[in-house]
Amino acid sequence: MSVSVLLVEDDEVIRKSVGMALERYGYRVDPAADGLTGLERFHSGGHDLLLLDVMLPGLDGIGLCRRVRETSLVPILMMSARGDALDVVSGLEAGADDYVVKPADTSVLVARIRALLRRAAPAPGTPRLVFGDLTVDPDALEVYVAGEPVSLAPTELRLLLEFAANPGIVLDRQTLLRNVWDYGWDGDSRVVDLCVQRLRRKVGADRVETVRGFGYKLRR
Amino acid sequence: MVRWRSLRWQIAALVAVASGVVALAVGLLVHRSTWERSLSLGQDRALSALLAGPDDDLGPLPPALASRLGGPDAYATWYDDRVPDVPWMWAADGTGAVKIDMGGELRNLRALDRHIVLASAGVLGLAVPLAALAAELPNRRLRRVARTARRVAEGDLEARTSAGRGGDEITAIAAAVDTMAAALHDRLRAEQRFTADVAHELRTPLMGLVTSAELLPDGEVTDLVRDRVGVLRVLVENLLEISRLDAGAESADRVEVPLGRFAADCVHRTGLPAEVTVHGDPVAGTDPRRLDRILANLVVNAHRHGRAPVEVRVEGTTITVRDHGPGFPASLLAEGPQRFRTGAAERGRGHGLGLTIAAGQARVIGARLAFENDPGGGAVATVRLN
Repeated sequence: MSVSVLLVEDDEVIRKSVGMALERYGYRVDPAADGLTGLERFHSGGHDLLLLDVMLPGLDGIGLCRRVRETSLVPILMMSARGDALDVVSGLEAGADDYVVKPADTSVLVARIRALLRRAAPAPGTPRLVFGDLTVDPDALEVYVAGEPVSLAPTELRLLLEFAANPGIVLDRQTLLRNVWDYGWDGDSRVVDLCVQRLRRKVGADRVETVRGFGYKLRR
Repeated sequence: MVRWRSLRWQIAALVAVASGVVALAVGLLVHRSTWERSLSLGQDRALSALLAGPDDDLGPLPPALASRLGGPDAYATWYDDRVPDVPWMWAADGTGAVKIDMGGELRNLRALDRHIVLASAGVLGLAVPLAALAAELPNRRLRRVARTARRVAEGDLEARTSAGRGGDEITAIAAAVDTMAAALHDRLRAEQRFTADVAHELRTPLMGLVTSAELLPDGEVTDLVRDRVGVLRVLVENLLEISRLDAGAESADRVEVPLGRFAADCVHRTGLPAEVTVHGDPVAGTDPRRLDRILANLVVNAHRHGRAPVEVRVEGTTITVRDHGPGFPASLLAEGPQRFRTGAAERGRGHGLGLTIAAGQARVIGARLAFENDPGGGAVATVRLN
């Protein structure tokens, strides 16, 4: 069963060419030309990843991302032609996992998609990890806060597992970019900051501590 | 640390001088009128004594008094201060003379002088610190204006003096600084919006072109198309980067970077051969994405315009990129990199944007980028972090 990608892009050439390029890599591509169509297609279900343009007619990529996140934890990759702070930050705040700036090579796009689809490989028989009222089950990929299950998007979960594997240790942004997002030095550390913000909203703001000038650590 | 040239002490000194002058004038007036009063009282007393009967033991009249005595009817008085601290008041007429002691009056006058000096010193001692204290408030407001202006100059366009009400000159200058910052802010935002819009308009068709070119069946023509698409893409990205740098809105995002490993990774990503030598294990707090742009541009430039072997050397927080070509053209050494100017023909083809970008990014991360030619031949670009 091949991976299904919902591609929402208003530029016809990009939609067609990216669709064909991804199909060559073995992905199944479901194209949509505007935000509302994209949302409709998404609700019809069965997508493993969303590839969204930011500037779309009707419902824009950021609005679409927010609407999808209300119900789903599917990985979302944004494509921005502007690449300025506002676009990128609003996309990541709306719940996108990562972004690429156009024009992107197909190989870069595929690498980003793979990084997002890569689940944290659970070591079999890993015991549950407990940090105060936060419980992480790396085997079942489940997270509980005060006994209540919390649903985390895949990137948030990978980030939390990275923290849980190194409790009380400060992890700098570069390490997190490398281990969670598969970036080298070329990664944008804002994706880390914004994902940490989203994680904090779900597991409690004081659970992930900011160590100024260095990075973050999980409070034991 | 007390800064004696600060406005506060200038105002205090002004107050001190003004109070001093007032105290001196008042003191002199009081001294004079009191003395004149003492003299006239002394004269009255001497004349009364003279009416009661002249003193016969005085001997000859002092010449100054004798000269004042005009006719036989007339009388005269004279203040005798020939012996210091023992003053006398003489009175004389045709019949004889008397002298009375004026020491008491002199002592009273001296006591008055002392009191005036003491009181003036006291007022000065109180007024100067009070003035310095009072000057502190406008001083503080001025310092805030200066601080805000500096922050704006450093790129914080949200900085405002928030001077508040009040119709004085400090409020006026604060309001002027705020207006200037707001105008700068608006202009920069408009510029950034324009750059972002241009980026969108250029990149959208370019992305279609890039991905479509990748889909073409392999062949000689495809290679030509892909090559030109690649050149176009680099050119567009470089131009967009330069306009972002020109807009002055870029800021560094600093982390601790182990320079040796970083430089090796960076050279590896360019896909071009270069020999990396690292001395020690230097770490610098810098923006890795921008430093990557600088090093990549220098290495690419060394290959395009210089000749292999290209050497990258990391020593402390200094990184040098050296090639073995003809060296930088004289115009670049003299004026620094200029966009679209590659200089001498022997430097080969290119758009001349790489070094402009490297210099712009170096400015953003606060690094110094120097270009020189090695006496042994070859161009040497040096990046000094911090």
